[in-house]
Amino acid sequence: MSAFVPFVALVLTVFVLAFKAWPAITVNGVHFLVGSSWKPGNVYGAVSTTGGVAHPFGSSYGAWPAIAGTLESSAIAIVIAVPVSIGAAFALTERLPRWLAEILRSAIEILAGVPSVLLGLWGALTLGPLLANDVYPIVANHMPDVPFFSFFRGPTGHGEGLLTSGIVLSLMIIPIVASTTRNLFAQVPALPKEGGEALGMTDWEVGRKITIPWVRAGIIGATVLGLGRALGETIAVAMISGSLLNTIAPNIYGTMGTVAATLVTQLDSAFADGTGFEVRTLAELAVVLVIVVLIVNTVARIIVRRTGHLAAPVGGVI
Amino acid sequence: MDPVLEAQRDQTHSASEMDPILEALDPDRTRPADVLHSNSLSLAFGEKAVLSDVNISFRRGTITALIGPTGCGKSTFLRTINRMNDKVSGFRHGGDVSLEGESIWAPTRNLLLLRRRVGMLFQRPNPFPMSIKDNVVAGVKAHQIAKGKQLDVVAEERLRQVGLWDAIKDRLNESPYRLSGGQQQLLCLARALAVGPEVLLLDEPTSSLDPISTEVVEALLRELTPALTLIIVTHNLGQARRVSDNTMFLYQGELVEHGPTAQLFEHPKEAHTENYVTGRIG
Repeated sequence: MSAFVPFVALVLTVFVLAFKAWPAITVNGVHFLVGSSWKPGNVYGAVSTTGGVAHPFGSSYGAWPAIAGTLESSAIAIVIAVPVSIGAAFALTERLPRWLAEILRSAIEILAGVPSVLLGLWGALTLGPLLANDVYPIVANHMPDVPFFSFFRGPTGHGEGLLTSGIVLSLMIIPIVASTTRNLFAQVPALPKEGGEALGMTDWEVGRKITIPWVRAGIIGATVLGLGRALGETIAVAMISGSLLNTIAPNIYGTMGTVAATLVTQLDSAFADGTGFEVRTLAELAVVLVIVVLIVNTVARIIVRRTGHLAAPVGGVI
Repeated sequence: MDPVLEAQRDQTHSASEMDPILEALDPDRTRPADVLHSNSLSLAFGEKAVLSDVNISFRRGTITALIGPTGCGKSTFLRTINRMNDKVSGFRHGGDVSLEGESIWAPTRNLLLLRRRVGMLFQRPNPFPMSIKDNVVAGVKAHQIAKGKQLDVVAEERLRQVGLWDAIKDRLNESPYRLSGGQQQLLCLARALAVGPEVLLLDEPTSSLDPISTEVVEALLRELTPALTLIIVTHNLGQARRVSDNTMFLYQGELVEHGPTAQLFEHPKEAHTENYVTGRIG
């Protein structure tokens, strides 16, 4: 019975949010997903009515910058976190002496428990300025001016922005992905790995061709778990991203905002909207976040199914 | 005994009485006749001695069976030859094993190259989590022996060699884990052969297989000589008698007796050997 609790909770949450958001969904329309302006309008002035829904005069909501910022910062976090996590898991299971591995393993688990507000504060006060002063300019000055890499050029700001957010997010999801991957690696039986060694493969080749593929589905699952955390992470990103409403970062160092950060930074002022329309719009934004997370999960499941046919038998026959 | 195996055995035996002209064509004629040599080899894990003072030579192109009761050090001896024990904590060795005259632990020895020359087949099939074809050529790719289209040729050649080609040629891109246990073990054999080893170490290669698959593997092993030198650990005395030219009997960490298989089984010199091969100890 208790297995249904998370499912029921999810359905109820989405249903209540969607119900709350419905008037905003009808008024904001498609513009909400593709538009780039976030204007509450004149909350102390005249009330307009669109399709029977009351909202402040001049209000117009486009969440595309927040959606793009969410996807971008989470993508950066994953690109950093997955290789680091797999490397860490590999070192913990295959390379380091047991006593050191145990110490580092508990350190990773402690990192998983650090409240995100602390990481946000550290990112805003220490890491961001450090990167902006000593690292970003060097990177920005050495990137070629060609597509993709030109995104790494240009003004590097003062430490608040997309890349700093992505880096701090990666620190939050590395513990999740690394400790799951470590446990997966520890379950890979010795026999296929020995087979690779006996064939004259290097440790690196054994890891890349045997150990990682053996648990590929699990690593993808752990990555999705981490991605879910990154997409939904709120307070740290609100502190580091710059929490802008209408701006897509012009380059990777630029300030921006995310869906979750917008929710937390705008809720207070939303209550000032006497028509309640801005609160409904924030509910709509929350629905968008849920949908993004669901899409990501579905895509991950498809990837697991596509690549799963060569995977090792579940539970390991060997 | 199976007449086919008998005929094959006669062929390999006649190699020593070869025509001088044929002998001049033998690609291995300038190489030492003893491909492997164990010189007062002692092995231990920590304080626990596993083997002491093993002296034996393995002649090129022969099959040597390694027999003895459980825990006598058979597998440890076998896994020492391709240095699989090196990374086991506490593993120590005294004496030496040489491959064609050079110690396997010589500082100049490249471990990866040693393992390419000394292949191994395990107790249970251990296909890698990749397609059947990629399994066959995994070692070939790692050692950069071939690439691209050549890999297809290697895969077909080796799968034909182990007699799997016709059964699985349409399933090359599928998972190896759907093959039967016997087919998986043959796939692993094809994979080991693909890198062109000189010596093949077999650690009870048929212990997890059904009798028919066992017969197939045994017949294949005979076909691999004299091109390869085989050392096979087996608990199955019948198998030792069927496939091997020479047999070595380990008991309580010592090499009690070794010699031609027929002689060791029918006229053992040592009492322990006789007790073991007649089933009085096991």
